[in-house]
Amino acid sequence: MNFIPLPSPSAARPVSDAYDGTTYYGRPALKPAPFENSVVGSYIFLAGLCGVAQVIATVADVARAPRREGLVRRGRLLSMLAPTLGSVLLVYDLHTPKRFYNMLRIARPTSPMSIGTWILMGFSIFSGATAAAQVAADWVRPGWARLLHGIARTTQVPAAVAGAGLGTYTASLLSSTSTPLWAAAPKSLAVQFGSSSMASGAAALAMAERHAGSRSLARKLDTLALAALAVELGASVVSEATYRTRGISAAEDAAADTRTIAQIGTIAPFALQMLAGKGKRSAGILSDLASLAILAGSFCLRTGVMEAGDESARRPQDYFRFAKPGNLPK
Amino acid sequence: MGAAMIAGLPLSNRVRDYPESEFRHPLPHEAELTAGVRIEPGRSYGFFTDTTVCIGCKACEVACKEWNNLPADNLGLTGDSYDNTGHLSANTWRHVAFIEQMADRPTEMRPFQSNWLMMSDVCKHCHNPPCMEACPTGALFKTEFDTVVVQQDICNGCGYCVPACPFGVVDLNPLDGKAHKCTLCYDRLKGGLEPACAKSCPTDSIQFGEVADLQQRAAKRLEHLHAVGVPSAYLYGAPDGPGATGGLKYLNAFFLLTDRPEVYNLPEAPTRPSDRVAPSLLSGLAAVAGLAVAAVALFSRRD
Repeated sequence: MNFIPLPSPSAARPVSDAYDGTTYYGRPALKPAPFENSVVGSYIFLAGLCGVAQVIATVADVARAPRREGLVRRGRLLSMLAPTLGSVLLVYDLHTPKRFYNMLRIARPTSPMSIGTWILMGFSIFSGATAAAQVAADWVRPGWARLLHGIARTTQVPAAVAGAGLGTYTASLLSSTSTPLWAAAPKSLAVQFGSSSMASGAAALAMAERHAGSRSLARKLDTLALAALAVELGASVVSEATYRTRGISAAEDAAADTRTIAQIGTIAPFALQMLAGKGKRSAGILSDLASLAILAGSFCLRTGVMEAGDESARRPQDYFRFAKPGNLPK
Repeated sequence: MGAAMIAGLPLSNRVRDYPESEFRHPLPHEAELTAGVRIEPGRSYGFFTDTTVCIGCKACEVACKEWNNLPADNLGLTGDSYDNTGHLSANTWRHVAFIEQMADRPTEMRPFQSNWLMMSDVCKHCHNPPCMEACPTGALFKTEFDTVVVQQDICNGCGYCVPACPFGVVDLNPLDGKAHKCTLCYDRLKGGLEPACAKSCPTDSIQFGEVADLQQRAAKRLEHLHAVGVPSAYLYGAPDGPGATGGLKYLNAFFLLTDRPEVYNLPEAPTRPSDRVAPSLLSGLAAVAGLAVAAVALFSRRD
């Protein structure tokens, strides 16, 4: 260790802005989140996919899109994955799962975990009611069916609002911690997650439309997915620039493989859809490949951010560089 | 409670009431005798840890483990000076850090503590505690003594308080699946007793008391240190100072340090994570709303 010179009498407080790389035996100054990244990453992916599936179904229904019935039905049914499989994943990740119901003891606006619990509750109730009415309408006499469709048309609106929250609150959940890589760029990370949700929802529904033979709706959904990917790409450039200026981007190397898949999933669909537009015979396969790449990329974006964040929490020099007065919110 | 010089020490007048050296029962308001403070609900209590008088004896670590029935974490040697404890964890609520600052030539060493720094780290019991703000079950709460405690019968081990803490204090115990950290001896405070670590500290490096009193005491100590030639001394966790930045306001458990915070494994300017909830949520919702509008335009187009 180097000799530490006598401080001048005026230096009553530590010199601020420059961080000289000092650590305490290189030991972490933070603890990484004790989440199982594949489990919570899957939940975040499902929450985005399902939340946005409900948004797209509702938008298609409200905008009275031509030949929308199949899309609306599939969107409503797809959205049921979050309340069912998603909730199971969340409870599984608790370290005392039998007390999962304690999440419902309070509502706390400072905690995205609590906000998310209530968003998921609201989403489950409204999209559950919408999907139930949709399914039940197939089994009853036409008079009753009309009533049930009317109910679904009403409950889908709050379901879509909750769906938009479900697709985005997970970014806030990560950003509202002290983990440097998650905390550094809260706004652009949220735009990344929100637009990635939109891309995955649109891609999944586009694939279904294609196989149901509804070409024109599939093309519109593909366009929507590409638009969402473009927004995600823009936001990810902003996030990366922030990590680099704050000097915390090195932690991302820990998730290099996952990040590569995520990047391929954001860029490849543009090329695939362009090729699909030219070649008539293999167009369907190429478009399906694009949709699958979007889904894989959306999943890997979430797990990649989680893995890289854990690594940044384990690197004391990253945290100390980040926790400097110059980085404080103005 | 009056204070007087008794046997050369500034002690409460109440010590005269107890001439015996062993007691069969707990004394009422014992903290008055050991820390000079009466513990009453509704007031703010905390620690002032003055690292300039810490001798690294680890009595605080032992007293904490004894009183709170906490098992050992690590029985090996770390090779990092005398610090074989390593870090605060679910089972370790006081941790003494050892920093050996060596000079190439002894004549260049600072005439102070032989350039050894020791510091007893603990949960900071923040005024705006990020762990509590993150807790979705309400297990983490502020007690009547203005301290931050995890209610073990409510915590469901979601683990969200762990990354929320800007000091890496809160930890999950994999054996019971709950979050644990220093309780500032909540049970002892209820019984009028000084927290175990502070009571066991032989040099009064750890001082327990009302936060406002401790802050005054710390300011006086700082003034003294600056006057006698330790200009590098400063407070970590005093109102809006280093360690209490970004909306944390102040730390109920604060420290007097003589080197930059990173040397002690502490961040200089931690932030309050809950400040990022609204900007993040609103940006995400704006992105989805914008794309939904695009979807409306796409869907309403006739083909």
